[in-house]
Amino acid sequence: MAAIHPETELIPYLRGELSADARARVAAHLQGCADCRASLDASAAILSSLARVVEDVRDPDWNAYRADLQRKLRAREAGSASLRGRWRWRREDIRLPVFGWPSMALGTAAVAVLAIALMFHRGAGTPPAPGVDQLELQQELSSTDVGLLANYHVVEHLDLLENYDVIEHLDELAPGNRPNNATSSS
Amino acid sequence: MLELSDEELCKRIAARDADAFEVMVDRHQSRAYRLASSILGNEADARDVSQDAFIRLYESAGRFDGRARFSTWFYRILVNLCIDHQRKNRWWRRLAPLAGPGGDDPDVRAVDPPSEEAGPEAEAMLTQSISRLRPALDKLSPQQRAAVLLQTQEGFSSREIGEVLKCSENTARVHLHRGIAQLRKLLQND
Repeated sequence: MAAIHPETELIPYLRGELSADARARVAAHLQGCADCRASLDASAAILSSLARVVEDVRDPDWNAYRADLQRKLRAREAGSASLRGRWRWRREDIRLPVFGWPSMALGTAAVAVLAIALMFHRGAGTPPAPGVDQLELQQELSSTDVGLLANYHVVEHLDLLENYDVIEHLDELAPGNRPNNATSSS
Repeated sequence: MLELSDEELCKRIAARDADAFEVMVDRHQSRAYRLASSILGNEADARDVSQDAFIRLYESAGRFDGRARFSTWFYRILVNLCIDHQRKNRWWRRLAPLAGPGGDDPDVRAVDPPSEEAGPEAEAMLTQSISRLRPALDKLSPQQRAAVLLQTQEGFSSREIGEVLKCSENTARVHLHRGIAQLRKLLQND
């Protein structure tokens, strides 16, 4: 069976970051794995050397460092302030011609033209109001409709339609299909 | 002011308290500069980038929500700036190799003392000069280098390294493992 080497857990193991279970598992593996033990030792050595690399970083002149930082910070703040000022100036620059009196007059004229155009458009879309001739025609047609209806047998015998439920279920009234409770329900 | 925690100072900086900013810079400038210098391998760049990190801190202190430790939040800014700086200047660095840890100073300590617990391979490693480790460190990926240095310099755990690098704890462990393995390989081949 191939051993699974806990490679990425070796440094956390060295640093004591692992949970108790993980630590016990890695420790057990290290006892039987020379490769991982060598890797652990080498990692410890490298980490120790790296700490020395950091120690060897020479400090700068902190007074000069702080003065430089303050200068950069002031320049940054001044830069952002001037950017805001420039932006405001541009907006004002634009605002004058666009929102001045001539522009307001032009805008009012445009709105008036639009309103008139809209009125004409609506007028074209709606049907014309009925005149006297049309009203007479409609009345004539209505009376004709009533006359036509008078010819229908159904209309003539409307009394037969009074019990509509019975007519709707005529097929169920056949002797073979008659439900037991038909009498009681009707 | 001096006894205030980093988090308290950060709140004051968000309210544009210049004194709080001064105290914060005073508290972190050395560590920030050293970390930047270790990642970038260049003192002038370390100076610029660490100062930029403080300026970012000043400008964005209001966005620190206190969910993470202040140091984690601040070093995330710093490490990201270092990584960005490295990416922008990669082509230039190929033409101008980095100086060793002591710059041109020949008196820089060349050999690390072996540790008492070190095995044979480790002892061999410990005899490697720091001047060879520095360029080897520079060959790591930015994430590997940052992970290794955050661990050795700041004592960050894998979880904290993950928070700084915006990755999972497991990914941070992989960066660490690969970084150290790469350093071993580079030093052995040297």
